[in-house]
Amino acid sequence: MSASTTTSRRSLVPHDVRLIAHQVRYEQLAFWLNRVGAIFTVVFSVLFLVMLGASAGQAHISFLHHLKLIKYYVPGFVAYGIMSACFTTLAINLVVRRETGQLKRLRLSPLPSRVLVVAIFVSTTIVSLVQVALLLLIGRFGYAVNFPVSWLAFALVLLVGIVSFSAMGVAISTVIPNQETAGPVTSIVFFVLLFLAGLWFPLSPHSGLEKFSNYFPVLHFIKAVNAPFEFQPGVSPWAWHDLLIIALWGVVAVIVAVRKFKWAPRRS
Amino acid sequence: MSAISVTNLRKSYKKIDAVDDVSFDVERGEVFALLGPNGAGKTTCIEILEGFLRRDSGQVQVLGVDPGLRQQQQWLRARIGVVLQELAVESFFTVRQVLERNAGFYPAPRPIDEVIELVGLREKADAKVKKLSGGQQRRLDIGLGIIGRPELLFLDEPTTGLDPGARRTTWELIHTLSAEGTTVLLSSHYMDEVEALAKRVAVLRRGRVVAAGPPASLGGRDRGQVTIRFTLPAGGPSSDLPVAPTRREGTSVEIDTNDEVVVLNEITGWALEHKVIVTGLDVTRKTLEDVYLALTHEEIDEPTRANA
Repeated sequence: MSASTTTSRRSLVPHDVRLIAHQVRYEQLAFWLNRVGAIFTVVFSVLFLVMLGASAGQAHISFLHHLKLIKYYVPGFVAYGIMSACFTTLAINLVVRRETGQLKRLRLSPLPSRVLVVAIFVSTTIVSLVQVALLLLIGRFGYAVNFPVSWLAFALVLLVGIVSFSAMGVAISTVIPNQETAGPVTSIVFFVLLFLAGLWFPLSPHSGLEKFSNYFPVLHFIKAVNAPFEFQPGVSPWAWHDLLIIALWGVVAVIVAVRKFKWAPRRS
Repeated sequence: MSAISVTNLRKSYKKIDAVDDVSFDVERGEVFALLGPNGAGKTTCIEILEGFLRRDSGQVQVLGVDPGLRQQQQWLRARIGVVLQELAVESFFTVRQVLERNAGFYPAPRPIDEVIELVGLREKADAKVKKLSGGQQRRLDIGLGIIGRPELLFLDEPTTGLDPGARRTTWELIHTLSAEGTTVLLSSHYMDEVEALAKRVAVLRRGRVVAAGPPASLGGRDRGQVTIRFTLPAGGPSSDLPVAPTRREGTSVEIDTNDEVVVLNEITGWALEHKVIVTGLDVTRKTLEDVYLALTHEEIDEPTRANA
């Protein structure tokens, strides 16, 4: 009766790629069908850029070689969009799926955990890249902000950022106890760090706030995304120092995520 | 070969024995129930069998393999179906989308339409999961449990929180699956559910099996004490009863006995002889609920655990 018994265990392995594609398709479907989540992630970053561009974009930043503010905002919101998709949205998604038992059921299905992890990562990357593309296009055609000069450096920044902030998203999901607090906790952490990192109001160099924000990855990511645009003379497109600090945070997050990750809902 | 074989299973959390020396076997094709109050160890047992939790000690075989071995888990997960206590539904998908997604995990899934038909969700196939009632969501959940054509299905309290109508349809579905040859391990704290579905049952209390067997003979309820009830005519009997009543309230009489055939013979013989019109004659055995409550009753001053 059962045809499954004739399929050997070994034959499942080459199907990993097909399985990943299958799962990515449904991860994407779930993301875009959840309108509130999709709007919060994608539309927010675009709206922020458009509104700030229209209001404050023409001002100049005195301590950054009189850089036009909009040229600071485009890379800044590219960074915001990636962090929002990889950190906030991924963390909330994982907590909700864990607490409702969805992760547990996936764990008990024959879908290998490695396939699920890769599929979630690929799906998060797609959401991130959609935002990056939208923001770059709006910047270019709405506000005449040039594309990055060094695309290779830009791609590296995206890669390091997406991997590291995804790891941080998974890590923070392990300390959030329930789905009710997932949104508030991640949003507060995220917006406080964004504010302190000067996403809306650029930090003057060597200020106390900058020294404080230097310990966290957000300011470094904003700087690293800025670099390949080459708006500031004398600044290398390869922000190695910033990338290293982001990657260090990523490594710590991976360690926390691997050690603390739970498939089952937390029991009372 | 048994579908499930459990011997001397133990598992403790923070020094509390969640499962304490449990043994039972489930035959292939059988519906077997774990019955017990909340916290008795039912879910822990099931999660060990699913390979989700590690055991501390004891032998466990599920479909002939040890679910605790990592290298067996992939093989096993393609052959078991799992329905969790939680309604793990993904609200933004339609019924069909969720089923199609999960079908992709299995080597030879059941056709989607067959599953939809089987769980009775044909009219709701393209409805969003969040629009379904609790009973419909539970049936979808069971649909996800059977989409991979499992040889063995785990159902952890499948009808908790459902209204009586939804419970009935869930029972019918479990009957259908069982008739198709699927082995079912069910956990429940409802006596009527176990009586309706299970061929055999193990009663758990504080991590131990306190009774096991077919529901009809559990705790010796097919033998042993019965209660005979009847009502005497209003004027009172012309002669004294041949058997001393255990309880008597006005004209209502109750007699507890281990020997109902003899007692009934005496009562009816006496009634015929003395032309007493006895009404409402009734013989009741202990209900499964009586047995269950007696088995799982927590005594307040109990210093040690009752032995199995």
